[in-house]
Amino acid sequence: MAAQPYGLIATFDTVPDIYHAAEQVRDAGYRNWDCITPLPIHGLDKAMGVKRSIVPRISLAGGITGFCTGMSMIWWTGAYDYKLIVGGKPLFSPMFAFPISYELTILFTAFATIGGMFFLNGLPMHYHPVLKYKEIRRGMDDQMFIVIEARDPRFNLANTKALLAQAGGKNIKELEA
Amino acid sequence: MAHAEHAVATPAILNEVKPAVLPRAVLVENNRSFSWITEKICGIIEGKTPAWWWVCFCIACLIACFTVGGITYLVSTGVGVWGHANPVNWAWDIVNFVFWIGIGHAGTLISAILCLLRQKWRTSINRAAEAMTIFAVVCAAIFPVFHVGRVWYAWYLFPIPNSNYIWQNFRSPLEWDVFAVSTYGTVSVLFWYVGLLPDLATLRDRFEAAGNKLRSFLYGLFAMGWRGSNRHWSNYEMAYLILAGISTPLVLSVHTIVSFDFAVSLLPGWHTTIFPPYFVAGAIFSGFGMVLTLMLPLRAIYKLEDLITQYHIDCMCKITLATGTIVGYAYAMEFFIAWYGANPYEGFTFINRAFGPYAWAYWIMISCNVITPQFFWFRKVRENTTMVWVLSIFVNVGMWFERFVIIVTSLARDFLPSSWGYYSPSVVEIFTFFGTFGVFSVLFLLFIRFLPIMPMAELKAVTPQADPHAGHDHH
Amino acid sequence: MSTHAASVSTPLVAPASPASSANKALVIGAAGLALTAIGVVVSSDAHGVAMSYLVGVTYWTAITIGMLMLTLIHHIVDASWSVVIRRQWEHWLAAFKWLFVLFLPLLVFAWLKPGFVWPWMDLNHELHGHGTVGTDVLYQKKAGFLNLNMFTGMTLAFFGIWVWVSARLRKASFAQDADGDVKWTFMNRKTAAFGLPLGALTLTFAAIYWVKSLEYHWFSTMYGVWFFANCVRGALSISVLIMLWLWARGDYKGVLNTNHLYSAGQLVFAFTVFWAYVTFSQYFLIWNANVPEETFWYNLRELNHDGTTNQWKWVGMLILFGHFFVPFLYLLSYKHKVVHAKVRPIVIWILGIILVDMCYNILPVLKDEHGDSLPFLSVNLVWVLTSVAGVGGVCVWAYLRSFPSTKLIPIRDPRIGESLTHHE
Repeated sequence: MAAQPYGLIATFDTVPDIYHAAEQVRDAGYRNWDCITPLPIHGLDKAMGVKRSIVPRISLAGGITGFCTGMSMIWWTGAYDYKLIVGGKPLFSPMFAFPISYELTILFTAFATIGGMFFLNGLPMHYHPVLKYKEIRRGMDDQMFIVIEARDPRFNLANTKALLAQAGGKNIKELEA
Repeated sequence: MAHAEHAVATPAILNEVKPAVLPRAVLVENNRSFSWITEKICGIIEGKTPAWWWVCFCIACLIACFTVGGITYLVSTGVGVWGHANPVNWAWDIVNFVFWIGIGHAGTLISAILCLLRQKWRTSINRAAEAMTIFAVVCAAIFPVFHVGRVWYAWYLFPIPNSNYIWQNFRSPLEWDVFAVSTYGTVSVLFWYVGLLPDLATLRDRFEAAGNKLRSFLYGLFAMGWRGSNRHWSNYEMAYLILAGISTPLVLSVHTIVSFDFAVSLLPGWHTTIFPPYFVAGAIFSGFGMVLTLMLPLRAIYKLEDLITQYHIDCMCKITLATGTIVGYAYAMEFFIAWYGANPYEGFTFINRAFGPYAWAYWIMISCNVITPQFFWFRKVRENTTMVWVLSIFVNVGMWFERFVIIVTSLARDFLPSSWGYYSPSVVEIFTFFGTFGVFSVLFLLFIRFLPIMPMAELKAVTPQADPHAGHDHH
Repeated sequence: MSTHAASVSTPLVAPASPASSANKALVIGAAGLALTAIGVVVSSDAHGVAMSYLVGVTYWTAITIGMLMLTLIHHIVDASWSVVIRRQWEHWLAAFKWLFVLFLPLLVFAWLKPGFVWPWMDLNHELHGHGTVGTDVLYQKKAGFLNLNMFTGMTLAFFGIWVWVSARLRKASFAQDADGDVKWTFMNRKTAAFGLPLGALTLTFAAIYWVKSLEYHWFSTMYGVWFFANCVRGALSISVLIMLWLWARGDYKGVLNTNHLYSAGQLVFAFTVFWAYVTFSQYFLIWNANVPEETFWYNLRELNHDGTTNQWKWVGMLILFGHFFVPFLYLLSYKHKVVHAKVRPIVIWILGIILVDMCYNILPVLKDEHGDSLPFLSVNLVWVLTSVAGVGGVCVWAYLRSFPSTKLIPIRDPRIGESLTHHE
């Protein structure tokens, strides 16, 4: 396996450069590839053909869980498990249960959103071939990279290299796995 | 978050009609490059610890000792060391709690509401403002936790099964507060952390390049292996937007629930329906006061004029003006309805606030909260940084007094004249509160020393060269 | 929808006059008003018809105030995306003077026949169970505020301020079309700076005088904020309908893109939440404190004197679910904000439910001999509908009449470029 690289990496200096290069790689039909950018680039998802993120669905599930948890907890503790008679108020009412259920909705949505984001991104992943590339440091600073993985069905060392070069990529290197 | 088709920068038609020209303020002055931003922000962390930092840090630690001392004395003796007594059984502890929680709200406003409103100027101040939020919540939490007296029973606040087989009273607004404030603290930390993620990766790589293994490891640990992948950015941006989306109702709900502490009661001056939005506006007002108080010196010390421009200061001043005026509307409405409601107790409370034994506090509140921000109408004032800073201090003072006026005046003179009283704080309360400014400063100083004070990735995204459709001539 | 604004040509000329639609609106308006007038004459309960007319006038005035507030907020925050829709708000502001004309009958009745609309104006009005208004200590305490002179003066002042601020906004915006001078933008910002506090105060006191004072024992500091939330929500819903109409008509092709609708939809969503927040807080604080001097207002809207529930309870439930949950859940989806066929029904629904909310606040003041509120489903609903059609027809006519007088969009606004290329 040593001979097989993880993929190819090419450097780009400006946002428009990587944007247009991404469009070309997308149009060439690659699937397993990525852009490395120090900032979220407006419109790059579309240029890469990345679909709208599904994080919101996970968040919604979290929110519903939170709301139900709040309502049922307050009903169960105060009106069922130990009937607490206080303040001339009914044992249970959605009115006074609302503030806490609302807070729990938000709390659980936050957990679901962040958990979902990490899960979908496959993070934490402290080891990654891309991070071994010594120039990648600039990818957290001011440079941008396109990485095309060798496992992509269309990957062909020579052709892919040519595509990246044609798209304006500089300093095209093989990444060791 | 981009799914919209980009049109050309200026529709051709506009070249014909020649619209009025009024350029927008740039958010990063002097056309700074991406790497300039990285160098500038990381430089603050990587450079040698400046002498002023040590001086401030020592002073802050000393001040914080007052809180530690006050609390130690309280815990070892009992809540009686505070000045509360009938009829004022809620006093400085609640005032200080509401004061600090309110300050935190501007941080969430900047990071969440302004994010939803696409106010890009928020980027350069949001990191520090969020830090301020978290530290303010820490300071706020001290008071309710310790006012229970036997602090080792504080866990009774949470629905944890206990040997008495009795649960919390979920009909009590104080219990709602427990949930609201803990949720607020948790979500604020998470939101802050998610924002930090890409910047931590930058620091990880820079410290590694500089050969500092330990710090590289620590930053790397929290960076979770972030590698700037656009597939990650896609989910990240969506998650960030959702967090902004839920933090907005969260921040509103927290101060709403804080206002419920008072408004659900029957006490004149407390029970009024406008309390929720009025408290929220006041919280944002006080928070912006604090943001200005913190950011202006920071800007001067670290020479951040290119990142916190006059435009940023203008915006903050105007929000302070707007929220201060909303607060003024609420004061007026309370006064009017106290008369219109024709309830003699309610009417008395308001007359008593303005002309009773606490009139001094009331007029400090009015002048600081309603009159002070009106100076921000004038461009000359907004452009004078010293003046803005001084006015922001007045805002902080005024909002503390607002809580004092609401809480203490209503309690000191309620329905029965025979049970009226006058409350003064004890020296322990004064020390404990004074010390929280030290606690806050210690945390804030640690923050500016060890974490990027501005979100680098986001700042880069609002520069002109981040636009994929810009010309290629910007190098 | 394309976003390629490069092909814009329509904005250069004044849009085609929708004269036939304007005439139709005027006919509907006249018919509605005529029917309402007949109602006053023939109905056995003329007071009920007058109340229904108050619903109609308040409803459309609220929406117009919302347009005014949106325009002012647009200027004060130097907004960009809303430039293309702002012109339509400005056209709608032409309705203020007609609303004043339509309010006049209520004022005239107030003088000629006190108590016909607002019961407190008639000092001999019998209060259920305790004397008359004139002998009511609560009225006496408030008489400095609740008297005919103050009411008339304030109402004239409200309309005067609204018409004047609107005229300033319209003038500056239209003038900029002609000369492209940036000074008009600054003039609008100034108008916004003093207009917003004025607007906030006038709409608050309008809500207190026109609606809250109907049940003058009751008080709530939140009321002005509640009214504001409905004003802006109604205005935003109408704005979305106008956007869809101008798109269907062809005018907005090349001007409007998906993101404008998305932004407008988000604002509708935001104000849905804001309305719910304000309304819930008001109800909740009163429910929890349980003080009779406040709860009676909600009790009227839930219970009869014998403890049975009345129809208003279900109207309240309808408002809770229809005013909040339905639009909230519906508008969570991106598609429901941008697909024309999907956003149209929800904004129409919101407009309908705001009307129900107005009815809920106004109509229960009509009571039977036991002091119970008359039911929601009654003949008065017919008069509500004729009034809404009448006043609404006139408002739409005023808008359409103003519409062809200027260019479709403020083509020389300094932010027009940003607006035409608005992206998420």
